[in-house]
Amino acid sequence: MHYYRAHVLVCMGSGCVLSGARAVKEALSEGIKEHKLEEEVQIIETGCMGLCDLGPRLVIYPEGVVYCRVKAEDAAEIVSEHLLKGRIVDRLIYRDPETQKPVPLMKDFPFLSKQFKIALRNAGFINPEDIEEYIASEGYSALAKVLSTMSPEEVIDEVKKSGLRGRGGAGFPTGLKWEFTAKARGTQKYVVCNGDEGDPGAFMDRSVLEGDPHSVIEAMAIAGYAVGAAQGYIYVRAEYPLAVERLRHAISQAREYGLLGEDILGTGFNFDINIRVGAGALYAVKKLPCWLLLKAAAASHGHARLSRPMKGCGANRH
Amino acid sequence: MIMKKIESVDELMKFKETALEKIKERQTSGKTTIVVGMGTCGITAGAREVMMAIIDEIEKRSISDVIVTQAGCAGMCQHEPMLEVIKPGMPQVIYGHLDEDKARRIVLEHVINGRVIGEWALVQRD
Repeated sequence: MHYYRAHVLVCMGSGCVLSGARAVKEALSEGIKEHKLEEEVQIIETGCMGLCDLGPRLVIYPEGVVYCRVKAEDAAEIVSEHLLKGRIVDRLIYRDPETQKPVPLMKDFPFLSKQFKIALRNAGFINPEDIEEYIASEGYSALAKVLSTMSPEEVIDEVKKSGLRGRGGAGFPTGLKWEFTAKARGTQKYVVCNGDEGDPGAFMDRSVLEGDPHSVIEAMAIAGYAVGAAQGYIYVRAEYPLAVERLRHAISQAREYGLLGEDILGTGFNFDINIRVGAGALYAVKKLPCWLLLKAAAASHGHARLSRPMKGCGANRH
Repeated sequence: MIMKKIESVDELMKFKETALEKIKERQTSGKTTIVVGMGTCGITAGAREVMMAIIDEIEKRSISDVIVTQAGCAGMCQHEPMLEVIKPGMPQVIYGHLDEDKARRIVLEHVINGRVIGEWALVQRD
């Protein structure tokens, strides 16, 4: 594999894209070409790194130096100073608002240093459009473990023991929800992922879907195994075009690598996922009842109608 | 990397080992760091060629756990090209008057075999 001495991670979360990250990335690759550094330096697009107000943001490894509010005009200096000569471009370094001390490294950012990321552990660190980077970060290992060493009941017990709960207002225990679905009488069961983030100003679903889509796919496959479903649906709002695009890409990559589809990892387990893009503004509430989501998922784009709940169908919505 | 369907758990684990190469440059702990002096003095004396030789050697020998980075002028321009090797558990050594061949030897002797090449060392720090 080709060795790159430096990795430039450009945040391509929606916030940074809107503030001009694409132009910055273009300018950086031009500068890299100009200095003939293509063989040494690699540019990688990532999902949201957090701190969108400081975007466009980029991190240069191996040092882990963060540059904030970068403009396309700054790219030439970053290339000739940092990437060529190894000198930090001081004026683009974040400064502590109180002390004005420079904070060059991500881990020292006052806002981030107290955070321990779980769901977003990979966002901003791996390329969300490259399944191999996800696999390198322990991705699909949990699915492999579950499929090869655990029964569906053991998975449910483990999730119950973990104390994992829904992140909506009710905080419903996830393990119980899985157990109910597994025990439901219906023969056809589904895993439905609710990416219809309706709360004003809430973008956590978007951050996960944009920054680490494979983690959602892997989790849905595990849920599918636990409850006995072979089909999953992700319902994403149309206002999140980047999330939709990355999810589609991730799903097709997962199929290509045999991590979705039939006989996953040679274990006999089948699971596949489809996306339904919904006109999110149609529903101004977060907690859609699962039957309505399913109905909407079954309908074409934005034409869901209200009707009675579907009976005899177990659905597991997250 | 050849794209291929992963057909078993073992295959996934093997694939993960290879895929790790892709992101290891972003993980820094416990690694050997090679700092190449890349001030104007260093560049003029051939520091770019030295660094490219190091990168090539790392790639050829598939060494993981090495970071190659640069620093500005260390104030000893007459000894350029210079580089410093910081390997955990070993003294830090600054080598001077380098060329591509010497750089490759340093990767082999110091980075891989853990032996300081005394005759080229300018400074050793514990």
